[in-house]
Amino acid sequence: MSVLSHSENISVILSIGLMLIAARLFGEFFRKLKMPLVVGELIAGVVLGPSLLGYFYPNISTIIFTQNDHAAIALSGIINISIIMLLFVAGMELNLSLIRQQGKAAFSTSVFGLIIPLAMGFAIGYFGYNLFGENSTDKIAFALFIGTSMAISALPVIARTLLDLNLFRTKVGSIIITAAMFNDLIGWILFSVIIGMLKGSAHHSLLFTLFYTIGYALIMLTVGRFFIDKSMPWAEKNFSWPGGFLSLSLGLAFLGAAFTEYIGLHAIFGAFIIGIAIGDSVHVTEKMKDNVSQFVTNIFAPLFFVSIGFKVNFVNHFDLQITLLVLILAIVGKISGAYLGAKLGGLSNKESLAIGFGLNARGAMEIILAILALQAKLIGEDLFVAIVIMAVVTSVLAGPMLNWLLKPKANSIETN
Amino acid sequence: MSNKELTFQKIAIAIAFSPRCEAMVAEAKLLQQTFNSQLVFAHVGKKSLQEEQYLKHLIHRFNLEGNATSIIWEEGDPVEKILQICQEHKIDLLVAGALEKEGIIKHFFGGISRQLSRKAKCSMLMLTEPKIHPTGFKHLVVEGTDHPKTEYTIAKAVEIARAFRSISIDIIQESDESKLALIRSEEFKEKEADDHKEALHKEEDEKLEEILRCTDCGELIINTERIEGKPGYVISKFSRDKEADLLILNSPDKPMNLLDRVFPHDIEYALSDLPCNLLIIHTKDSD
Repeated sequence: MSVLSHSENISVILSIGLMLIAARLFGEFFRKLKMPLVVGELIAGVVLGPSLLGYFYPNISTIIFTQNDHAAIALSGIINISIIMLLFVAGMELNLSLIRQQGKAAFSTSVFGLIIPLAMGFAIGYFGYNLFGENSTDKIAFALFIGTSMAISALPVIARTLLDLNLFRTKVGSIIITAAMFNDLIGWILFSVIIGMLKGSAHHSLLFTLFYTIGYALIMLTVGRFFIDKSMPWAEKNFSWPGGFLSLSLGLAFLGAAFTEYIGLHAIFGAFIIGIAIGDSVHVTEKMKDNVSQFVTNIFAPLFFVSIGFKVNFVNHFDLQITLLVLILAIVGKISGAYLGAKLGGLSNKESLAIGFGLNARGAMEIILAILALQAKLIGEDLFVAIVIMAVVTSVLAGPMLNWLLKPKANSIETN
Repeated sequence: MSNKELTFQKIAIAIAFSPRCEAMVAEAKLLQQTFNSQLVFAHVGKKSLQEEQYLKHLIHRFNLEGNATSIIWEEGDPVEKILQICQEHKIDLLVAGALEKEGIIKHFFGGISRQLSRKAKCSMLMLTEPKIHPTGFKHLVVEGTDHPKTEYTIAKAVEIARAFRSISIDIIQESDESKLALIRSEEFKEKEADDHKEALHKEEDEKLEEILRCTDCGELIINTERIEGKPGYVISKFSRDKEADLLILNSPDKPMNLLDRVFPHDIEYALSDLPCNLLIIHTKDSD
């Protein structure tokens, strides 16, 4: 068995240590500026990577993010695992019962907040294919990806904003959270279909990809969820707890990930669905979920977000036209869709607009979606940079816009 | 409490001529006496002389004959017919026997009493162990979640507890922290997240205190408790652990269907495995 040499070992360990510290320092700085932590982590990568530091001092940059052949492969493996765990945690945060309980307003907001940006993204991605730079030649998969990336929302960013503005328990707050969860669920299912289309085009048709995706999701969320729920009390009784939950849940996540990768879907989809199934168990407390979440979001997520800045040169690949196009498409599609849905659900103009801006925040999920699309060669680096900028801008915009639209009336808005 | 307040003016009892039929009539008698209500015995199925005589015999045995009692026989779909009877006779409380747990197929497709509980537009009492010598409800567990229906539910629960001279009444605030967890992991310091959580809980506690202040509790000793976990499941588990004899919940906000059993939430957790007798309170304006 080949192993990393002494120097390669040091390279990997050094990279992990430096990336974690850089991510924390930048993250905390941006948090103080009232921006999501993920923005800081991402900018840490951009500042320390080839876009800035690496341009002037490439040697220092390669110490932080090793380019050493074997060490780089090892680091890449760790980062891939990070994405799987991130999606697992995102799945655990999805509350299926909240989606099931949604009322008329939340339902119409969820549906229109998904369909309108999806349709707009698909149409412009398909007919305006050339406007987005060099991307995959599979026009349908590309257009579907643009639609999906426009439909997704960032739950943690939204939740924080709502709490800051004292809107968390209002009708508007509940609708935003429920619709974001619904959009994420459908968004990741769609993305899995797209990746399956790309990966599987040589092996199986679109119909099979759809069948595998929906079949896996349905079986895991019904039969799988049932068995997971029933086995939790047994595990709690026989394993050390909550340590046992940490290894059991992540173990199941990796098994799910391996399975979906094996059947031609992306590994992240397997982990995401397992996350939903585990998170829905009545025996899994928020404290237990929090243990897994802290471990993943503070160790693995920063590694992933910093690594993005090292993989792509944000300065060279910044294209104003593509960035503006993506930004406008994202904002117009999401806000108009959610606004229409909320209006149809009986909300006022201001409330509907606020819901639109709340759901417009894309955050970390959008960035994960974009990096996976880049890895799958579905999109080029120019479009990737544009999507990352869009994710940051929409996340930063959500708070002030919600504040502007609702703050004076925050206390008078009907509570749930 | 004064019986004249008529907590449940008209009570319908779904009769199935099962081995528990006699116990159901006995329970009906106790309810009638306690709430001074009118009783409607409803049976859906072909009318047979034997069953008719048996029901009349039970009514006679429990001294229920008179203007305050009526019997309705219908043929057709039991659920639809009983719901129709409830609507036509302006029933306030529907009473039916129910197994604690149903087989998996029956659970998903719904036994009669569970189907009734999901569709009834009036309050419904599901008796898991009706007794020939009923003793009423001594230990009550009541939903105290922050919801517009809770005030009415608590008021009804207090009326029932006073009428039955119950020993204890526990009001449970189920705390679903899943939404708060969204921000705890990434964006907040632990203390910040705890402060937010505390502020939200305080707001809920104040609302509950206000409800209890406005409710005539008499001599009743009411315990309030907050438990973290999935709404519906948490209160169900508490009732079982405390060996309560009546769990009182708000009616669901919208009609439940098969999907709600596949992806259970709230009341479906209680219905999937009844911890004790279950009373679902419908507010008058929820129709």
